[in-house]
Amino acid sequence: MTPRYHRHADLRLTALAGEGVVLHMKERRYFTVNETGLTILEALREPKSFEELVAAILAEYEVTREEAERTTREFLTRCSEAGLLEERA
Amino acid sequence: MSARRSTLPGGCQLVCRNRRARALLQAWLDAAQLPWPGRLRLDVTVVAELPPRSDAREVFSQPSVAIQAGPPQDTVHIEWSVAPARAIVHPTKPRAELLLTPAALEKFEIAERSFLLVTLLFVLRRLGWYHVHGAAVTDPAGQGWMLVGNSGTGKSTTTALLASLGWGVATDDISFLVERAGAIELIGFRSAVALRQGGLELLGRHGGLELARRRKQGFWPEELGGSATLRVQPRYLLFPQLGERTGAKPLAATRALTELVKWSMWILFEPLHSQEHLDLLGRLVAQTRCFEATLGPDLFLDPTLLPKAVDDSSLSSPR
Repeated sequence: MTPRYHRHADLRLTALAGEGVVLHMKERRYFTVNETGLTILEALREPKSFEELVAAILAEYEVTREEAERTTREFLTRCSEAGLLEERA
Repeated sequence: MSARRSTLPGGCQLVCRNRRARALLQAWLDAAQLPWPGRLRLDVTVVAELPPRSDAREVFSQPSVAIQAGPPQDTVHIEWSVAPARAIVHPTKPRAELLLTPAALEKFEIAERSFLLVTLLFVLRRLGWYHVHGAAVTDPAGQGWMLVGNSGTGKSTTTALLASLGWGVATDDISFLVERAGAIELIGFRSAVALRQGGLELLGRHGGLELARRRKQGFWPEELGGSATLRVQPRYLLFPQLGERTGAKPLAATRALTELVKWSMWILFEPLHSQEHLDLLGRLVAQTRCFEATLGPDLFLDPTLLPKAVDDSSLSSPR
């Protein structure tokens, strides 16, 4: 089964001037995310697969699939390391 | 025997049998002159010693309070370290139970600025009032300004200086962020503008209310030449620091929001309230022009330098 990415239940997000500020309640930390990161986190209001997230980036920006996949993969990796996302089958 | 009840104008109900504790608390709440946003209730009991308790949640220690908040209980436990006192704030309702020992009552003046204030901040979160550590003032044209930052960055001294130019002062330190008629407003917890010795010297002030335990002197806005104001709708948001020359530099919106989060630390404690708090902070940034401000000694020779610096910077502001 394709894994799906879930936003951590302790994540809080607000958008501002095209970017985002994220709170991680459990860790009591906060982060900023750029425009593409905001697009991905907003898409993750509902759990999504990697492919669905790449599609969200392609729908929003004029980039190649390769660029969209790389951007999405890098962002998901950083978010997972920061405990903002969970990957479930 | 039933507990004595005392309802302050606007809806803060104190329930307390101990006459002295009730009088002290009521005087403190009266002095704040807050337009209570709804009915809140404080049940206060004076006890010889605090009963034992257990709470497995992580303890967050601040200079004089230890706080446990969030799931699974969603109550907020606040323990005071200066003298034995405890508050338990209801998970969702604007009410708290306070246990005060006689030793805590003896140090009531210190409790006002720490234990009691923190308790009140958490209770007011349940009514949609969110705390930001900052000063709120209005210029003579009626435009609102907010100065946000840590102690020692010049908020209070600048507030006093602006008051001397006839500005309105809601607070030099404790602001509540509220939504009203589609805009974000600040309501100040009214207290005397508290100045350290250095600030007194820069302002050429003497006298004032002795705040001995804080090693500061307090001045009401009216004493400084300004006026007290209840509500401020901010148009300018400043993050001050001390420096050699007064100036202002535009700050990007996201950066301003993260700075606000830093000075609204309770936002990271209660998942039930954090999204609303974060959204209000975001809206505050969206309705203001944000600056990193440097406050220099030249400001005390020409107090108009700060508004001028902001005006000049606005011309090149990114928003």
